[in-house]
Amino acid sequence: MESAKGFKKFFNEKMVTLLVLLVIVVAAFTVLSKNGSYLHPANIRNIFSLMVVTSLLTLAVGCLMISGNIDLSTGANGTLCGILFALLLQGGVAWPVALIATLLIGMAIGAFNATLVNIVGFQPFIATMAVASVAKGLTYVANNAVAVPVKDPVITWIGTERFFNNLLPVTLIIAIVAFVFYTVLMGATEFGRSVYLIGGNREAARLSGIHPVKISYILFINSGMLSALAGILLAARLKSGTVTGVVNMQFSGMTAAMLGGVSFGGGSGGFGGVFIGMLIINGFNNGLTVLGVSSYWQTVASGVLLLFALTVDYLNMKRRGKRVSKRG
Amino acid sequence: MERCLEFKGIEKAFPGVRALQDINFRVKGGRVLALLGENGAGKSTLLKIMSGDLRADAGTITLNGREMNFSSPNDAIRAGISVIYQERQLVPAMSVAENIFPGIPPRGALGLVAGKQLKRQAQELIDKFGLSIDPAAPVGTLSVAYQQMVEIMKAYRRDSDVIAFDEPTAPLTDAEIAILFDLIRRLKEAGKIILYVSHRLSEIFQVTDEIVVLKDGRLVAEMKTSETGEQELIRAMVGRDIGDTYAGLNRNDKIGEVLLEVSHLETDVLRDVSFTLRRGEIVGFAGLVGAGRTEVARAIFGADPVSSGEIKIEGKPVRFKTPKDAIDAGVALCPEDRKEQGLVLFRSVRDNVTMPILAKVKRGLFLDNHAEDEITIDAVKRYAIKTPTVDKIVMELSGGNQQKVILGRWTSSKMTTKILILDEPTKGIDVGTKAEVYQMVCDFAGQGIGVIFISSELTEVVNISDTIVVMHGGRVTGQMTRQEATEEKVLALAMLD
Amino acid sequence: MKRLLRSKTVMLVYVSAVVVAVFFIMNHNYLSGDNIRGIMNNMSLSGTLGVGMAFLLMGGGIDLAAGAEGCFGAVLVALLMKTGMPWPVAMLLGLMYGAAAGALNAFLINGLNFMGFIATIAMSSVYNGFALVLTNNQNVAISNQAFWRVGSYALFGVFPMAFVILIGLIAVYGFILAKTRFGRCILLCGGNRMAARLAGVSPKKVTTILYMNCGALATLAGSVLAARMHNASPTAVATGALDAITAAVLGGVSFMGGGGSIGGLLIGLILLNTFNNGLIVVQLPSYWQIVSQGALLIIALCVDFFNERAKALALKSSSAKRAV
Repeated sequence: MESAKGFKKFFNEKMVTLLVLLVIVVAAFTVLSKNGSYLHPANIRNIFSLMVVTSLLTLAVGCLMISGNIDLSTGANGTLCGILFALLLQGGVAWPVALIATLLIGMAIGAFNATLVNIVGFQPFIATMAVASVAKGLTYVANNAVAVPVKDPVITWIGTERFFNNLLPVTLIIAIVAFVFYTVLMGATEFGRSVYLIGGNREAARLSGIHPVKISYILFINSGMLSALAGILLAARLKSGTVTGVVNMQFSGMTAAMLGGVSFGGGSGGFGGVFIGMLIINGFNNGLTVLGVSSYWQTVASGVLLLFALTVDYLNMKRRGKRVSKRG
Repeated sequence: MERCLEFKGIEKAFPGVRALQDINFRVKGGRVLALLGENGAGKSTLLKIMSGDLRADAGTITLNGREMNFSSPNDAIRAGISVIYQERQLVPAMSVAENIFPGIPPRGALGLVAGKQLKRQAQELIDKFGLSIDPAAPVGTLSVAYQQMVEIMKAYRRDSDVIAFDEPTAPLTDAEIAILFDLIRRLKEAGKIILYVSHRLSEIFQVTDEIVVLKDGRLVAEMKTSETGEQELIRAMVGRDIGDTYAGLNRNDKIGEVLLEVSHLETDVLRDVSFTLRRGEIVGFAGLVGAGRTEVARAIFGADPVSSGEIKIEGKPVRFKTPKDAIDAGVALCPEDRKEQGLVLFRSVRDNVTMPILAKVKRGLFLDNHAEDEITIDAVKRYAIKTPTVDKIVMELSGGNQQKVILGRWTSSKMTTKILILDEPTKGIDVGTKAEVYQMVCDFAGQGIGVIFISSELTEVVNISDTIVVMHGGRVTGQMTRQEATEEKVLALAMLD
Repeated sequence: MKRLLRSKTVMLVYVSAVVVAVFFIMNHNYLSGDNIRGIMNNMSLSGTLGVGMAFLLMGGGIDLAAGAEGCFGAVLVALLMKTGMPWPVAMLLGLMYGAAAGALNAFLINGLNFMGFIATIAMSSVYNGFALVLTNNQNVAISNQAFWRVGSYALFGVFPMAFVILIGLIAVYGFILAKTRFGRCILLCGGNRMAARLAGVSPKKVTTILYMNCGALATLAGSVLAARMHNASPTAVATGALDAITAAVLGGVSFMGGGGSIGGLLIGLILLNTFNNGLIVVQLPSYWQIVSQGALLIIALCVDFFNERAKALALKSSSAKRAV
């Protein structure tokens, strides 16, 4: 009975809408692409191998959004960490050490964001945007805007190896593990519940014995760590740390979270929906590539998609009757 | 022509409450009329209807013989009605002159704002009122009193026929009050119609000509100020309609040892607050809105910083830094504003009940949903919360049931609440549920919990509490037992200056 | 507070002077005629955007798409001139597009209740993409020599046209802010929306005008740059929005709306541009400018924040005194 209830909860109205949307996207691109090449295994593999980075960034920003916050520095942070990681490896540092050091840098940037937001009291979006600008600058400074090759065999194996008939990239496994982990963390633990409660009503949560500042720190640091990991995995896959890195995927991450039902107001949305939201975004972006649409149009599309997600959020909010504040 | 404002048959209902019923009275120009009544008597609602903020369900307001029909505050202002609220409608960064003429400053050549002219006109107005304010000073640098003067000048400049004051003296010192009264007299001489809402009886005798008393949404008395006295007014405000709701309560008579001892507590609002709470005792806090009762609750609970004084629980001094510390020590707070501070409206009944005990309903690393459900179902049964399932979103419950959810949160089997602070627990709740809440409060006491019961409804505080603490202006102005207390006594202390 | 503001402005002037002195000592070329002209040109770019942004911030809005709108606008103007259209007509159409882009932002925010920053981030991606699509990421060459003069003309042989335009804008907008009813309305809307509504001012109408103005000025900034460069780049001012916000907040425009002055903005612009240019003159890699952009914004916000807090504390202590 329990599982039936869970099942019903999972497949609520919103979920069905999302699944239908996913099917439409897939069907449309399959029909439009030459000989249905969209569903060709090689292409599916492509979608999958791209997905890990977006997944991690989605999880990073998704958790923060549920708590009523936002992080616009995930892309810049991840890119900086990707290039620093490559530089450390190039400098002869052993990969586990480089990995941990880079993750710590990402977490430190997250902690800095949290301080600006919680202690100094900046609006999260402008604070994280400023931090993003600093991180972006440092990325260029780090190696004079030149890409750094990654040659470490273990790292490139993680980045490029595929199991099962070349279908299942290691990175996808990481993404799935991360998704399962965060779904459970947010859905079934005290911490996750606290995040939802803070997003729903910060003061009520505080008066019920939850520490909003502590949790906000954890979430920003977590966001920094996931961003760093995303940057590292992209560097591993491309076998080089670049200055563009994961910057553009931050956008997809935010859109996926919103599409999946995480609202900017905070307090709502589950990672089941977000997962499908992410499949839709990745499927859509890849579909445009398969159809040979120029990357410039894809930039336009990503903006339109975000507006679409905002509209969905707006309609949800309107149904819930929650008032949205204008700017911050 | 002489100005005249008339209310005819005004009715207004909110869900569960009839806020105003058949209100009729009139005021003439050059007269100051006091609107008097307890908290919740309907004064604010009447002001809001007059200022176009709310629409009456029935009845009419006529000004100078013309029927008014407002659909927004803007309409009311255009028709010549200004209300000076406690929250200022000013822009701190802009100058006094700019605030007096917001959006519609005097026109200079080419439709431009002539800065000098603006300043001159503001200066003229300031001189007229005999004030010493620099028209170029940003409003944010003025004291609260002078900000209020700016509001008054704004209203005067609009050439309003009616100027209403909502508790204008609450933030003012005596010297500033004198200036304000002088201003009001000038407005009166200018033939304006003035409505004056205040709790302070002494002021009412100083500045008003007529008094209208509201109680529970009805007009219960209308008199000339010169023909009445304080005692008569208090009697009119209190009324005589105590039913037998309280007689039937099953009270606790086993009051035990001292549980909470607060001595000389000070915060930025509170001055030297001391009282004790015993096991099984209900201590009621009476006072007007803004008297500092909520601040006492928040200070004890660790929600606001305490600057000095001592709090002892069971004899041990404590100083809570966060609400979490207080909860761990057995203190619980049901805040005044359920929706803003109490509930997470878009989460389920269960999530709202288990908020403070999440750490205690875990199985291994995970939350134990079964245990959560059981605890919630227990609360739903105990308090007869009307909800189909524990998964229902709290927002969809009625006010009374929402209040019960919060009570359920603090009294579940996993909580060890020793001290329960209820801040306005019956606000916005219908009469039937109120009686239920009273019995619950008595039952908590019966279980040995010490209850702090804050309420603005006099009848309720006086009849529920074992001990009544009266506050005014951040201080305790009196303390008495239920046997000693009468509503008149409490009200007199609450209004004491 | 006026004194406080004034003292803050004075402080900014000192800081700018120190910045200039330090860079001059490090490299005497810093104050050469060419370099000063360079600073003026860069300042005009961020300044023209900055005027629009500062007004928007004062009115309680924000437009993170301003840079992208400007790029697309410049490309549009260049393409129109390619068809042989005279430059004033092309310019006019470009400005109209800018205003329309602003109106669309205003609709998303006022009409659909989207949050300003996220809606304009999305729009920034849209315009950025459009500019790339139209140009295929190539600069659009401008052959209209009359238009070149807009970029190359120098008043008294010293002040570049772009700078003259900026000074003109600052004069006009300063006048609007200080002397007109509309200027009052802006501060009123940004400072206290409710009070604005009660005073008969429609905050939605005012912010819509401010968004349109911001879009038009962004196009102007992009076009003047294009005139100077003799071509329109689809990405040249892409990060302009952040620069503009930084200059405005540095100069004391309150991020929360309701406060600020054009004089402050001007000093903010000087500080931002002398600093950024100095980084180049002392031969740090240009990438450091990106770092400094973010760092300056953080510093500016910190100053804004501590200012507000000092004010709040001052008010609180005065009210506490009254209570005693």
